[in-house]
Amino acid sequence: MSRAGGSSGWRTVASQELRDLWLGGRGPLLLFAFSILLSAVTYLAATNQVLNFLEQREAVNLALQVAIAVGVLVTLVLSADAISGERERGTLESMLLIPVPRRAMVAGKLVAALSLWIATFVVTVPYVWVLGRAVNIVGTALLVGGLVGTLLAVALAEVGVLISTVSGSNKVSLSVSLLLLLALFAPTQLPGGPPQGWFGDILSRLNPVASGLRYVAAVVVNGHDWTRDLSYLISPLVTAVVAGVVLVTGAERLVRLSGGVSAG
Amino acid sequence: MGVRTLRDVTVEAMGLSKRYGEHTAVANVSFTAHPGEIVGLLGRNGAGKTTTVRLLTTVLAPTSGDFRVAGMPSSRAREIRQRVGVLPESAGFPGQQTGFEYLRYFGRLYGSSAADAAHTAERLLTEVGLTERAGAAISTYSRGMRQRLGIARALVNDPVVVFLDEPTLGLDPAGQRQVLRLVRDIAEHRGATVVLSTHTLPEVEEVCTSVLLLDEGTVLHAGPVSELLRMAAPPRSGQLRVPVSLATRAAEALARVDGLTVTASDERPDLLRVSLDGESRRRDDGLNGALAALVAAEVPVLSFELEGGRLGDVFLALTGRSDE
Repeated sequence: MSRAGGSSGWRTVASQELRDLWLGGRGPLLLFAFSILLSAVTYLAATNQVLNFLEQREAVNLALQVAIAVGVLVTLVLSADAISGERERGTLESMLLIPVPRRAMVAGKLVAALSLWIATFVVTVPYVWVLGRAVNIVGTALLVGGLVGTLLAVALAEVGVLISTVSGSNKVSLSVSLLLLLALFAPTQLPGGPPQGWFGDILSRLNPVASGLRYVAAVVVNGHDWTRDLSYLISPLVTAVVAGVVLVTGAERLVRLSGGVSAG
Repeated sequence: MGVRTLRDVTVEAMGLSKRYGEHTAVANVSFTAHPGEIVGLLGRNGAGKTTTVRLLTTVLAPTSGDFRVAGMPSSRAREIRQRVGVLPESAGFPGQQTGFEYLRYFGRLYGSSAADAAHTAERLLTEVGLTERAGAAISTYSRGMRQRLGIARALVNDPVVVFLDEPTLGLDPAGQRQVLRLVRDIAEHRGATVVLSTHTLPEVEEVCTSVLLLDEGTVLHAGPVSELLRMAAPPRSGQLRVPVSLATRAAEALARVDGLTVTASDERPDLLRVSLDGESRRRDDGLNGALAALVAAEVPVLSFELEGGRLGDVFLALTGRSDE
């Protein structure tokens, strides 16, 4: 028997997690629910607009924002269950006993979680095409939406796994993750739009979700060149990199039998 | 049995301790085990059995002390994991997977190719008697079947040492038999060392070659089961069952035996309890005299069960508590 290394270990974990997610029924069910939601949003956006240039761009932006919001939500929820869920179901100890590095185990679980975002985005493509073909922004919108959504999904999936490793129970992990997501999305949903002024701008830029969505809106709605507002992507990028580094370097210590900060 | 050398040692714990703040889960545990040996980790709930298993399988890090498992020092955790098989206490299983998928998955995690992992899964399912349920979701398995599947999982990497933490917990007698038979097979046919954590004394007597008696995290006794049994006093009482029609004749025959007290039960006249008097001269031959008297009186003995003199008594004496 050959030795299971990190390189093949993460692939084995990922393929099993993907099988459990997509053949076990959870993935298709979530995707079906998302399709219904997006269909409703697209229908309302398409039937209520007058065919002018700006509103069609806003409809496309709305569809992308819904896709990113839902995609990130389901990815985060799955990640938040990754370790604490296994712990609660009594399956973590068996996983800790395999000779695969824990960072490889985490990587495999992240891949499975991110597949939900990818599937969500794929489902969004025809909706964006329907809404954006008249104003010729389908390609740009998909490129920008895909880039920002992927960046946010990676960042929040990693944060979700981190929360899951330190949480004492799965309920705590899911609650904290959802609360975090709510706090990050709340500024983007304020009636008057995101907070204005220099302080509001700093807040928006610190918030990876708000700044990411602002970048999408700047390109899709305002027609800015994709290079002009790249600074809005700093915070999602930094979040993804920092959380990733913490997971890679700290997985051996973080992924433990018991949750909480001080258990040994 | 040949002379054992240090090379034969598959498990070596040296003063292992684990503390959680003020609470000491395990204190200064030392023992060794060899190939083909079944070591019973015996103790009540909370005695430190599971912590000891988790320390030796690298799931927990010791506060002090050191160990070697399967020839690997504690610092090489991944190599130890590669060489041991473990059935954790109250292990959970992914209910949506089939038994075959589950074992194949773990085979892959230990580095086997897809074909090899599938072959190993099939072989192990046969070994643990789950071939017919190989394609069924684990959620449909009984507790006994899950435990056997867990044991099969512990064997996917052909381990040098197998740790089984309370494998018979919650099983009916038939399930317990099956699991204990598997435990014996692992040691006899695979030559692996089995560390069997249990709080059930008869299990230790039945399958273990040596025992580590733990109480409140400390080792009360370590050594062969036979050595521990020698510490137990010979039986001093027993229960006989005779035909109801001959119960009076049996009681009269037993009453004539010197140094023996006979007690009959009002509710069950066929049951007679016999016990040796405090300073009986019959100490050496124990209760054999009771049987001889019944044979002489031509009373058939339907059953005869000795009381005491087993590992339970030693456990009771060493821990100062009652057997569970």
